[in-house]
Formats: sequence, C-alpha cells, structure tokens
Amino acid sequence: MSQIAIKVENVSKKYNLLHKQKNQADSLIGSFGGGIKNMFSSKKTSTLNEEFWALQDINFEINKGDRVGIIGRNGAGKSTLLKILSRIVKPTTGSIEYYGRMASLLEVGTGFHGDLSGRENIYLNGSILGMSKHEIDAKFDEIVAFSEVEKFLDTPVKRYSSGMYVRLAFAVAAHLETEILIVDEVLAVGDAAFQKKCIGKMNEISNKEGKTILFVSHSMQSVQKICNTGIFLQKGKIIEQNTIDKIVNRYLQSGDTGQASFDIPLPNEPINGHITKVIIENKQGQILHEIPVGSDWRVRILINVTQPIEHFIVGLGIVSSFDTPIRTSWSLPENISVGNYEIIFDNDDVMLTSGLYKLVIGLSSHVRTFQYIDDLITIIISDAGDAANNNRIINTDSGLILNPMNVTLNKL
Amino acid sequence: MYAVKKRIELCIFISYIMKTVITSSDKSFLNLSELRRYSGLFKYLSLRDVSVRYKQTKIGFAWSIIRPLINILIFGCLSILVDKTQSPTQKFLMVSAGVIFWQLLSSAITEVSNSLTVNSNILTKVYLPKLILPLSSLLVCIIDFLIAFVIFILLFIFFKGLPAWQLVFLPIVILYGLVFCFSLGLLFATASVKFRDVKFILPFIIQILFYASPVFLSTEFILKLNMPEFAKIIYQLNPLVYMLNAFKYCIYGSFDNFNMLYFGISIGITFLTLIVSLKYFLNFEKSFADYI
Repeated sequence: MSQIAIKVENVSKKYNLLHKQKNQADSLIGSFGGGIKNMFSSKKTSTLNEEFWALQDINFEINKGDRVGIIGRNGAGKSTLLKILSRIVKPTTGSIEYYGRMASLLEVGTGFHGDLSGRENIYLNGSILGMSKHEIDAKFDEIVAFSEVEKFLDTPVKRYSSGMYVRLAFAVAAHLETEILIVDEVLAVGDAAFQKKCIGKMNEISNKEGKTILFVSHSMQSVQKICNTGIFLQKGKIIEQNTIDKIVNRYLQSGDTGQASFDIPLPNEPINGHITKVIIENKQGQILHEIPVGSDWRVRILINVTQPIEHFIVGLGIVSSFDTPIRTSWSLPENISVGNYEIIFDNDDVMLTSGLYKLVIGLSSHVRTFQYIDDLITIIISDAGDAANNNRIINTDSGLILNPMNVTLNKL
Repeated sequence: MYAVKKRIELCIFISYIMKTVITSSDKSFLNLSELRRYSGLFKYLSLRDVSVRYKQTKIGFAWSIIRPLINILIFGCLSILVDKTQSPTQKFLMVSAGVIFWQLLSSAITEVSNSLTVNSNILTKVYLPKLILPLSSLLVCIIDFLIAFVIFILLFIFFKGLPAWQLVFLPIVILYGLVFCFSLGLLFATASVKFRDVKFILPFIIQILFYASPVFLSTEFILKLNMPEFAKIIYQLNPLVYMLNAFKYCIYGSFDNFNMLYFGISIGITFLTLIVSLKYFLNFEKSFADYI
C-alpha cells in the first residue's frame, strides 16, 4: 500500500476584485480627487467589489513518491494551488495535510541579491528555501558542480549572464533535502541544454530518493518527461486526475490550448467568394491545437464561392511572432464556378521552431486581392515533438527554421 | 563530517513522520520553536543587509565611521552655537550621546517599517516565519550603532575621562530601546503591506519624534519652556524621552528630570506597543501575500 503524502480537502480560494468606477480614475485630477474623497469617507463609494474564486472545491490525494504534473491554461488556478500548498497564501475554505518537509520553488532564485557573490547567494537562497547551514555545507560542492559557475563563485551575481544566474539558482533548489518539492514553471527559463539537465536531475531525485514532486509547466514535453500522474485544472476546478499521458491528451484535446479551427466572419461588402473556415490538422486529418515541433502539418481552408471567379489564386503566408514573414505559397490560377471548395496547404518541408506564428491568407482574382485575413489566425508550435528528440537539434526555439544543415566534422 | 551526516539523516528521519495541517481557520500565534528552527535564515538575512549596505561604494565600510561622525559634528556644533550657558565640550558631548542613540532608534524604526515591503519578493514566493524579516533588519542598525558608540566613547574619554559606573546598565537600556522601536516599526510594517501611505508619512513621524525627544533639546530645557501643562505631560509619556535620558544616565551617572510615575508609565506604554503590534502582525500575517 502506498502512503499518502498530501491530502487536500475542499480547498477554495476567493479573491476580491476591486473595480474602480470609470470616470474617476480616468484623469490625474480625477484620481487625485478620488483619493481625497477616500480619505474622508469610510465607505468605498468609488469601488465595486466582485468575488472571484480562483479555486473551487479542490479535493485530491497524492501518494508518496508520485510526480504530479498540474496542467491547465493561464488563469486555471495552478499557481494559486501551489501557493496554498506551500503555505504562502491561506485557503478561504478547506484543509490540507501533508507529511514530511515541503519546499517550494515558485521562482528561480528567490531572495537572490545582485550585490552578493555566488557563494553568499547559495547560503542565503538555501536558507530561504529552508536548508540548514549543515545541509548547505554538505551539499555545497555538488551545488557548485551542477551549476558550472566555479570560476565565478566570488563574483556578484549581478555580473552573471542570465544563464549562469538561473543555473546557480536551480542548482541550490535541486539539492533541497525535502520529501515534497513544489516546482512552478521554473524550467521556462534557461536554454534547452540546461532544461534537459534539470529534467534529468528532477527525474533522478524523484526516482532515487522517492521524493514527491508537484510540477507546473506549460511545456507538455517536460511535464511528460518528469511526471507519472497529472491533474487537469480548468477555471479553478479539477477536471481530471489520472496518469500523465491521459491528462496531457485530455488537455491537448480540450481546446484549452491553441485553437485548431477558425471560423472566419463574413466580409462586410459582398464579394464573389469568401473563406468560411480555416483548420489546422495533421496529415491524417486530425485537428491540432498545438503542432508538435518537427512534425508535418497542413492548413485546410474552406471557401464558399457565390459567383464564378476567373484566374482565382489563394495565397498563404506564415509570419513569425516578431512579424517577420517566413514563407508565402500560392495556388495555381484556376477559373472556378459556384460552390464550396477546400484548399490544402501542406507544410512538410520546412520545420519551424517552437513558438507562435500568424497565418495570413489572401484570395485574389487576376492579381486583385478581394479578401485578405491577417490578424485572425494564430498557431502554436509546441516544444513537444520529434524534433525535440533529434540530437542534432539542441534548442527547439532558436531562430525560425529548424531544419538542420548538413554538418561534418573532419580531423585535419 | 560523519557527525554532520548523521545529524542530517536524523533530521530527515524525524521529518518523515512530521505532519503539517493547513486549514482556512488557522490562527497565527507566536511560534518561537519555528523561529528557532529558522535561525540560520535569520543569520543570512541579517548578514545580507550588512554586507550589501556599502557595496559598490569607493570607501566601503568607512562610511559607518564617517556617517556618525558627521552627525555628531553637525548637532554638536549647532548645540554649542545655540546654548552658551554650558561649557562647549560639555554641551557637545551631551548632544552627541543623544544623537548616536537616536540614530539607532530612528534607523531601527525605519528599517523595521520597510522590512516587509522591501522583501515582498520573498514573502510571495516562499514560506517562512514572517517575523524573521523585521527581526533580521535590526542587525544593520545595531552594527552601525556599535561603531558610532566606540567613536563617541573615545571622544568622551579624551575630553572628559572615564564614564560613570552606571555604564553597566547600558545593554539593558539599548535592548529596551530596541524593543520599543521594533514594536513601533512592526506596527508600521504591517500597515504598509496594505497601505503604502506609511512610506510617505514615516519620515514626518520620525522628524516629529526627533523634536519631541531629548536628542537636541534636553528634557530640562523643554520642561522650563512656557508650555501648557498637558503638553508637558504628553511629552513625558513618550517612551523615547526616558529611553534617551536613561542612555545619558548610563554615561554621566545623573538622570535628567527623573520621575518614577512617568518612568513607570513609559515602560508600560512600551510593552503595550509591543503587545498591540505583535497582535496586529499575527492577525494579518497569513494574508500578507494576498495584499503585498
């Protein structure tokens, strides 16, 4: 029988949102007047209170040694849950029981001080995370070795590169001797090589030492690598608790992530043909909320033609999140009659790096564009995919195009 | 090394059986054993404040000698100009004694008041007994004071000879002063979590306290002034008055206008402040992260 490490019962968390009534804070004078008014009246006339339940009725149990991934979109309540578990904020209702020591890593380098040296920060940060001096002394060499900053131990950390800073901070936390470790999105920082190292370390500590880990991340790839079970949160409620693969699938299918099909509104002025829908899918025709990096995908565009169109061309452009056009493709010109059409753009040659991209679509007849969509469709290329396991690709998000060049190393 | 390892293993074993319960109705209380467990953190936070203080300055630690010296010189010289009844050195030393102790008290109030908002990044990211933050901000003030005190005593010995035997009471007076300033600071610190107005009003409060305490103007001088009686009573109820006079007593051996009744009341006010501020702090402690 497995032991219970954490037991959460009926936990809810309420926040009061203050809405300022509009006209007052609009101007400097208005807000100043409001401040004066607040000084003299005890009633808060200028604000409206609204209750917001960040978490509602959360119940779950976690067994000792489980590595639990908590998944949900922004605002689902993941961070609030972690904050309650780590005793930073107090639940509005409910109770939590846990066995053993707990350490939380909600941020890399909590309490790091830029003016202190790496050595001093190891001790400061370690003690903030709850380590005693003996523990830090005993682990000091390991921490330094893991962080790879031996040479700069006596340099103030404000002179560190951001990579060094993150490595040092994670190294301290990774050597915590607690039974329960709570980790929130900290792997989002740092480069891919470092992330791999961190994931390896987290696997190691959870396997060897039987540590219970609660892990929040938006990267399905790292969640799947680290965790064995998962909890899916949506709008402050638990949707499902299950094995991690089932939870990740459920999450990806929930449409809670990226959008896979886009309904295009009717154009304002009547035109001969218009786009009704744009769908992102894989080769087998399954829709993709997130496109796994390195895999093939295609864009299916549904078009309704109300009048015959001569010399009809559809153009599709992919634009990076920095507004850099990456590629544009056009269909061959054709004369088409009334009816519904679908046109498919296959992306099976260029591997795009992980991140957000915008699709731009134009319909034209003889070089005159009559429908142009440029800000409706955003796609996500997720960092979980084949390319992430390709050993010629170290970082799935550097640059725009991921296809590796042919590289040879010759001894001269 | 082996002993250390054994000790850690023992701690780990104990912590396995340890059970923690969090409920919504948790009441905070003064958990001294937890504070003791976090004594390492207390140490490192204190040391952080000390070692960061003069970082990236050209003369570094020399500032903690120069700053009190400048203060002593300004107020000492000013007092000689204003009051010509006493001998200049006498007056100079008397005022300097007040100034260095006042520096400790006022900086303790300020540092403790800011300790929570300054460390908000820690408060919102990790659990710790929150009382540690205001407590650890005191060390900087104490170290600055000790340096200033050594300077003062050297000046005193040079101009006047050895201080009175009452010097042995000094640690008690200093501790008592810190208790009051910590309590007052804690009150402001807790309020400032929700109301940052505290940050703006605090300098004025400190300034008022400066004139309402025998730092520059002695109690004797104030009580001789042509003031309504109630103002004089209020003046004597200020715990800082007896604190500063007690400090001077430890050095000179004579107490400026000692009155048993007011002395007792001012001690009462000090401990009342401590209780009220602790109560306020503990009631509110668990919600800090929601408001800060």
